Amino acid sequence: MTNSMNNLELVKKVVTEAVPVLKIEEVDKQQLAFEIDKRDVHHVLTVLKTSGWKQLSYMSAVDWIDENKFELVYLVFNWEVPVYVQVRAKIDRVNPEMDSILPIFPGVKYYEREAHEFFGIAFPGNPDYHKQLILEEWDDIPPLRKDFDPEAYSDRKFPKREYPADFSVVDPKNKSIEKRKERKARANALRTGGKEQ
Amino acid sequence: MLSTKFTPATKLSKAEIDRKWWEIGDFFRRNSLWLLMYCTGCCAIELPPAMTSAYDMERLGMGPMATPRQADILLVSGYLSLKTLRRLIYTYEQMSEPRYVVALGSCPINGGIYHDSHAVINQLDQYIPVDVYVAGCMPNTEAVMNGFVDLMDQIKHKTANGWKKYHANFEWYKENQRNSLGEVDVHDEFHE
Repeated sequence: MTNSMNNLELVKKVVTEAVPVLKIEEVDKQQLAFEIDKRDVHHVLTVLKTSGWKQLSYMSAVDWIDENKFELVYLVFNWEVPVYVQVRAKIDRVNPEMDSILPIFPGVKYYEREAHEFFGIAFPGNPDYHKQLILEEWDDIPPLRKDFDPEAYSDRKFPKREYPADFSVVDPKNKSIEKRKERKARANALRTGGKEQ
Repeated sequence: MLSTKFTPATKLSKAEIDRKWWEIGDFFRRNSLWLLMYCTGCCAIELPPAMTSAYDMERLGMGPMATPRQADILLVSGYLSLKTLRRLIYTYEQMSEPRYVVALGSCPINGGIYHDSHAVINQLDQYIPVDVYVAGCMPNTEAVMNGFVDLMDQIKHKTANGWKKYHANFEWYKENQRNSLGEVDVHDEFHE
């Protein structure tokens, strides 16, 4: 069990015997990624949990806007065998929906709420996936979708600072000492309310 | 013969007496400032050297305070997300007056490196009045200490009027807060 290659083989055996795997990727010596159909996710996670991968470390989504798909990534960890297992499954980008894995890993509750907030994925089976968690009073499309423009949102919602005077020295031949004096005078005026020190 | 030791008191008007008391109060206040450190972002890392023996803010008479009700300065260190801004406005309105705001770093000034983020505001003084900005990403500890001395100067010269501005322009500040936040009140499952 100490040899990392044997560990990877063990994981491959466990997963490929359970469900049809579309693609296997060795991320590194301690991490394996399996791409499977979304209908097999619950089965493979149950199998992994009973084989020792009992900790759900993370769950999130990736937006593949060119394929018009969301990819869900479940990351599970085993405290006996040091291998992370990623379980990936693609779902439709239009009306995205995935059955919750709450009965298998109760800790996924908040990850699913996060994924719903940032990608708009629905998780039937999770009783409060639709509640707000991180963003409050959000009024636009979910912000981690690739077609969301954060700069336009920021420009629309938050006032930008306008600078009345430009103190930057553009031309080095120009006397910067004047600018510096001007800047210091302004700073002093702000500090003392216009009175001389 | 009248003693020169006890000159008769000149009659002062109520406003003049008030002003004198405020000057006395300001003298003691600026030499004993208590900070409420609202460590929102990465500039908070400048505070340990400012507080401990490296720069020792206690020699300026400053110290940390645990609750907003007894603090004089609200110290905003770093970027402010919308979620934090709601709590910051709560905190600011809880503080007793006179209250001062010191903002560290470039993020409260113009957004800094988060100028195009959907979650971070760009200009803190649109929502609450700010007395001292300390620019830099992040500012040196010297700059932070200088900012505190600037604030003491401002109190001395009676220009640290942020809290008065908040009263005078209350509707304007509230409108800005509503425009960016939607609603200032916090509604989440932990508050219901």
